[in-house]
Amino acid sequence: MNDFAQIPALTGSELSGLIDDRAGEGIFRVNRGVFTDQRIFELEMKHLFESGWVFLGLESQLRNRHDYFAARIGRVPVLVTRGADDQLHAFINSCPHKGARVCQLQKGNARIHVCPYHSWSFDSSGRNMAIKDKSGGHYAAAFDQDSHDLPRIARLGNYRGFLFGSLTSDVPSIEDHLGEAGRLLDLIVDQSPQGIELVPGTVTFTYDANWKLQLENCSDQYHFTSVHPSYLSLLDHRAEVQWSKATRNVFDPNSERDEGEALGGSYTFANGHVLNWRRAGAPDALPLYENYDELAERVGTARRDWMLRSRNLTIFPNVQFADNASSQLRIIQPISVNRTEMRTFCIAPVGESAEARRIRIRQYEDFFNPSGLATPDDAVVYEACQEGFTSGQMPWLQGYSRGLASEFGQSNIYAEDIGMAPAHSALGDPSLGDETIFHAYYRTWLERLLAVLPECSDSARAVPA
Amino acid sequence: MSDFSHLIAERIIHSEGMFLDQRRWEEWLSLYAEDAVYWVPAWKDENEPTSDPDSELSLIYYASRAGLVDRVWRLKSGLSVASTPLRRTTHMTSGILVEETEAKASAAFTVHCFDPKRRTAHNFFGRYEYQFGIRDGGWKITQKVTILVNDQIPSVADFYLL
Repeated sequence: MNDFAQIPALTGSELSGLIDDRAGEGIFRVNRGVFTDQRIFELEMKHLFESGWVFLGLESQLRNRHDYFAARIGRVPVLVTRGADDQLHAFINSCPHKGARVCQLQKGNARIHVCPYHSWSFDSSGRNMAIKDKSGGHYAAAFDQDSHDLPRIARLGNYRGFLFGSLTSDVPSIEDHLGEAGRLLDLIVDQSPQGIELVPGTVTFTYDANWKLQLENCSDQYHFTSVHPSYLSLLDHRAEVQWSKATRNVFDPNSERDEGEALGGSYTFANGHVLNWRRAGAPDALPLYENYDELAERVGTARRDWMLRSRNLTIFPNVQFADNASSQLRIIQPISVNRTEMRTFCIAPVGESAEARRIRIRQYEDFFNPSGLATPDDAVVYEACQEGFTSGQMPWLQGYSRGLASEFGQSNIYAEDIGMAPAHSALGDPSLGDETIFHAYYRTWLERLLAVLPECSDSARAVPA
Repeated sequence: MSDFSHLIAERIIHSEGMFLDQRRWEEWLSLYAEDAVYWVPAWKDENEPTSDPDSELSLIYYASRAGLVDRVWRLKSGLSVASTPLRRTTHMTSGILVEETEAKASAAFTVHCFDPKRRTAHNFFGRYEYQFGIRDGGWKITQKVTILVNDQIPSVADFYLL
């Protein structure tokens, strides 16, 4: 970070002043500054991403001993491995010697990782195996007082095959961090008795806007018909001409439903996790439908029916699961205050039929790819927002108000059906476009950042002379 | 009906770039057979693109020209903000290699893309692999595989940018 002496450090009261949370009075506003202030970005990286749990990947990416994949925790390169001991390990992918990134690839299998700079080598659990020419190196005795291993990250959490890491140790257990939102990860991993896997093929895209735009948009029902009419029109068109089963409109709003059945809603949970959902317009068009009866037997009809609903889940702050037309895992990687990288994967139940897999992949490409019919429209809208955020006129955004006058209460029958206890719920047809869902993000965001900020500028950090 | 030749391959490949650059969508579509496969694989890792569209992810995969017709409709619909305004493009195609007896060709490409809204430019580059066949008395593209070398996508990728 550039320490410009002219820019005073942010104080807690300044930060609180950017979130106008008076929900009890029907007011919740977010100041545009949260998306544009470089100082806030630095705080977010240090205290949301580089302190506390972030998602790394799936255990199924590490099937064999010595398998590895690269990840990032905030700005820090991390390697996640299955060691010779068959245990999972995660360590900083940076050589203790000169700091170089040790493993150069995104994934693979290696018993030994050799630093490309001076050939220090490490085993697949990060332990130093050799320091080149150590005996000839005239090291002082003090040298070996330091560990030469790749440093382990402070915590590695494995919730049912979803791997999370933290660079700091003072975090709750991963189960406590996920809390009731864990029930929603269960709905993903339980789609097959063998769990889920990544479909081969990674797609990475960037957009020139703040990472929180992606965070919000995944949970934003209100945008759907505005940003994606070209996609929705094409689905209708394809259904008309019966172009292919793979392109049935699972978002069909006109499909038959049971008397009194809700069209959708949202839930928020402790620690900033949220879900928005809608009923599946055409569940039989979903690749999972082939297991309709098997699922009922194995997980019960309530959880089976939930699996067939369209669900967008965020585990704060960096991972989102979208299970609707197809199934996507998205990792949000902030690059700078106005640039974000998205690493996206198609996830699928292990062992599904070849035909279901094919349909899942086709639906994925059309909807989720940055080369598809929907995601590019989202990304371009994020950029339009970032451009608009430069305005200081009317700094308070009005996009956190829908649903504020409704009284939905903490839970509802749909959550109770699967024994889930959310912090807050909303229910309604898509015209609700609930925006109270975002409150959970910004309350967690503020709470965690306030915990590390001085209250007022008297205690602002020293600036370089 | 002429036999397949280097000249035919070159004419179709260069016409394709020009039609896309000049937004002559219908003429572009007419280069493709009804049953043409249009495929842009994703990458499995640093070295290998995906090779089986039914079990691995692609950036774009259509098993018939109808998919391309849909995409042209989307661009023209006015309903896609990612396509409003359209980016301007220049397709640069070279290194065309033709296997005349197999009616196949491949070519290196660079597409210069300019976003008039944000006044920024970007390149996509890689290699095209074509299969041609005779339909209704003329040579048409029956399969096009686009290996996109730089698969770090700045917000938008689309058929006309590749």
